[in-house]
Amino acid sequence: MSRRRSRISEEEINELISKLQSLVPESRRCGSNRASATKLLKETCNYIKSLQREVDDLSDRLSDLMAGMDNNSAQADIIRSLLSS
Amino acid sequence: MEAESSTSNQQRKRKRSASESSAKPAQSTWRTDKEHRLYSSKLLEALRRVRSGSGSSSPRTDPPRSRAVREAADRALAISARGRTRWSRAILSSRSIKLKSNRIRVPCPARPKRTELERIQSAADQEKKKSVVLQSKAKVLGRLVPGCKKLSFPTLLEEASDYIKALEMQVKAMSALTEILSMIGGGTEGAPGMVQDAGAGTNSMPPPA
Repeated sequence: MSRRRSRISEEEINELISKLQSLVPESRRCGSNRASATKLLKETCNYIKSLQREVDDLSDRLSDLMAGMDNNSAQADIIRSLLSS
Repeated sequence: MEAESSTSNQQRKRKRSASESSAKPAQSTWRTDKEHRLYSSKLLEALRRVRSGSGSSSPRTDPPRSRAVREAADRALAISARGRTRWSRAILSSRSIKLKSNRIRVPCPARPKRTELERIQSAADQEKKKSVVLQSKAKVLGRLVPGCKKLSFPTLLEEASDYIKALEMQVKAMSALTEILSMIGGGTEGAPGMVQDAGAGTNSMPPPA
């Protein structure tokens, strides 16, 4: 798959960087066509960190909601049936 | 479920043949509805296991449970990757083996000292300087994406872009699930009153979207 393994060519890197740039919302919004690679890497790291924080936060909320399932209420019944279908 | 798995098998074969011929078809991965549904069902399965594993009444389970939910969601995400990427394989292998804390840090071997000529050449080369800064940033990125600490730069970028898309899907699926469960549980968030009135036992659940 990688034709030149000995030397990482500049254009391969640029291609991957532009691909990353289209993913990370911050750099997409700025509209800068040729953002510097370091800045883009920093934005990427920040974005990944914020996504992971969001997942952690959502896990917290989900576990709270699941803890509420342990009561015997009609709502807990609905949640239980949803999770066991 | 069988029909879905057979079509997803076909999809996997299509994707694998496409990736063999040219660059990986990165645009459609993690964005299709099918993958979203696949991940959501795996997520529900994993959550079910978390729930049955922790037992029905144990007061101390709240902090470890959120950790268990996070790990279950990550594992479901890694499974949905179907072994295509390093980060997914790293998540699956590290969870099962759990040797992360026991790994001994091997110090990097000392580099041979450069000759004068090489030093002069490297000082004049602007790109080398830029690549040093890039390398330090790339190292940070490699620490964030699981299993990618020692990858080459282009591979690391590929793994990172795939990981970002997977994380976005994970966030979307988990927030949708959270919203549904909180609407069922609370019922005062502006949801239609059918859940509140259905407390008598008639399961009038809204059809799955």
